[in-house]
Amino acid sequence: MITLKIALRSLLRRKSRSMTIGLLVAFGTLLLVFGQTFTRSAGIASRDSIIHNFTGDLILYSERSKEKPSPFAFNTPLPNIQEADKVRAYLQGLPEVKAVVPFAQNYALIRVQKNGKPVELPFIFYAIEPANYLEIFRNAEVIQGDFFGVTGAGSAVRPGILISESQNEQYQKNYGVNLAVGEKVTVLGLTDGGSVNAVPSELLGLFNPRYFKNVFNYINYIDIDTYSRLYNFTGVASGSLPESLNQGLAQAAGDEDAIFGLAEDKSFGKLDLATLKSEALSGYTMIAVQLKDHRQVDELIQKVSGAGLGVKGARWDQASGFFARIAAGLQLFIFVATGLIFLIVAFIFTNTLIINIIERTSEIGTMRAIGGEKRFIRGLFMAETLLLNIPFSLLAMIVSLALILAAGRSGLPLPDSISQYLIGGGPLPLLLSAAPFAEALGIVAAVSVLATLYPIRVATAITPLKAMGEKAA
Amino acid sequence: MNVVELLDVRKHYLLGETRVDALRGISLNIDRGEFLAIAGPSGAGKSTILNLIGCIDTPSEGRVLIDGTEVEHLSDTELTRYRRQKLGFIFQSFNLIPVLNVFENIEFPLLLQRSLSRSEREQTAMHFIEEVGLADRLKNKPNELSGGQRQRVAIARALVTRPLIVLADEPTANLDSETGHRIVDLMRKINELEKTTFIFSTHDEHIMEHARRVIGIRDGAVVGEQRKG
Repeated sequence: MITLKIALRSLLRRKSRSMTIGLLVAFGTLLLVFGQTFTRSAGIASRDSIIHNFTGDLILYSERSKEKPSPFAFNTPLPNIQEADKVRAYLQGLPEVKAVVPFAQNYALIRVQKNGKPVELPFIFYAIEPANYLEIFRNAEVIQGDFFGVTGAGSAVRPGILISESQNEQYQKNYGVNLAVGEKVTVLGLTDGGSVNAVPSELLGLFNPRYFKNVFNYINYIDIDTYSRLYNFTGVASGSLPESLNQGLAQAAGDEDAIFGLAEDKSFGKLDLATLKSEALSGYTMIAVQLKDHRQVDELIQKVSGAGLGVKGARWDQASGFFARIAAGLQLFIFVATGLIFLIVAFIFTNTLIINIIERTSEIGTMRAIGGEKRFIRGLFMAETLLLNIPFSLLAMIVSLALILAAGRSGLPLPDSISQYLIGGGPLPLLLSAAPFAEALGIVAAVSVLATLYPIRVATAITPLKAMGEKAA
Repeated sequence: MNVVELLDVRKHYLLGETRVDALRGISLNIDRGEFLAIAGPSGAGKSTILNLIGCIDTPSEGRVLIDGTEVEHLSDTELTRYRRQKLGFIFQSFNLIPVLNVFENIEFPLLLQRSLSRSEREQTAMHFIEEVGLADRLKNKPNELSGGQRQRVAIARALVTRPLIVLADEPTANLDSETGHRIVDLMRKINELEKTTFIFSTHDEHIMEHARRVIGIRDGAVVGEQRKG
């Protein structure tokens, strides 16, 4: 009791110094609580935004691919998923799966007429099954026309393309072409074989992306049927091939030399073209999967990889390019910044305590002379530290709580350039959680104790002899 | 019966490379209940003797026995406990705890001892507060008191644990002569009343007149002794 009394009164005796230290601790706590809440909220918002705008919980892609999937790698599309329908059927049979959305990413040209002359416009796109795509991804806000005529689940789809308003503005700026909804266009695609396919199509609508505008402004849509025609995703049904050829193809396992070697092999004889049947191939490069529970993502990837479907999986954060790393990077930045601030606070605090101790040499020496043991001195300075730091820390927590609650109603407004990269755009909803408060209290207590250890050593090293010659009260 | 025995005590310090002999073979016996002054000019070694008796310094050579215990072999914690139980200190600069009021400063050594109940503590503290005539200043902080009042608080604080010995290092040095006389009178009165041994250092001849025995010190050695009554 006497320890607390002396500690409290000593703090009050040096009001301005105590206030300075207290405010520094409060600032550190505020940064810690608010920073942790901000980064946690940003992490969750970023994850949800990525999942609902371009990856789902995971992306399945061909096991032949050497690259991880990225929704923005249009110049180097991933290999096709050869048995996409089989994979899809498998996934749809799993109870933990909520939605399955196959799609492809690629680039092409759009040929339009301007003043009677053809103009070719660059066109990067997602090839989708429109109704199915909307089961997970609702990023496109159609501002003119419609979304491939989709009115609901299972509704009929009109083939065509959709471009973003921003893309159309770029066409206007760079090519002097302003596309109008309903305009007939020709989509030109360069096939793997080196030939150019031209597929007549129509601009069905203009849209604005709701989130991640900085990338989705340049991503357009095409329906999967038009896409398949554009890149010749029609093959020979394997069932119509002689069994010996099927076996040879299986053995060749995609190796081009081995496949061409089959042509030299006379044992296959001649193919009767009249007996061959065509088979539509999807051309899908990725399958986005949404789960009923996010936490099952690794389990599902393992399950699918072991199912012999020719696909492997990447979590949403592995498949989102650099976007998932922004929130993690920000979290690291705030963690390091807070750490540095606490280091500075601890340094200032330690120095102030040492100054206090030097000023109180006579007092400490007197206490030691009249029978105060070292543990009493230790307790006294520890009590001063905690009596100062904990209340200021709690005060900062109350302020943080008020700020979080105030921001929570409408979300924390962020500059659009930051928000777009961090959470896809819009204000950040701050999620109230007890963890940052508990962590902050623990960190403040730990830093306070650590910062007091050295000053305590200095204080307990003061001998009673010091008290004899010092000027005192 | 001797409460203090100094046997051929020497104390030397190093000031840079120079050896300073503060005490040069002091031998001294002090009986229980004495009211003794150690007198001498500044730098004679008075404070060093008090520090050795007060267990806050150790001799370079020789032996120091307090109440029959050879104290230089005790650990820091044991010395602290020994001081708490057997000794009281009155400092030249009063050395009160600035954030505690008169009552709390006097009660403080009892709180460190933890041997009395709250009511016993309060009763004991009040007894000595009344002895030093500060009952009307209970709630005052040290900075609200005069020098004489502060020294009276220090005396009460030194006595409150009923120590074997009270050590006072130049207790009147920071007081005017009239207040100084009053303080020494008070110490003398308590010495007679409580039978507490008082050992104080001084270079003030008027203060020495109050002592029953005066030990003269010069250049770290005893140069004379005077007994009265």
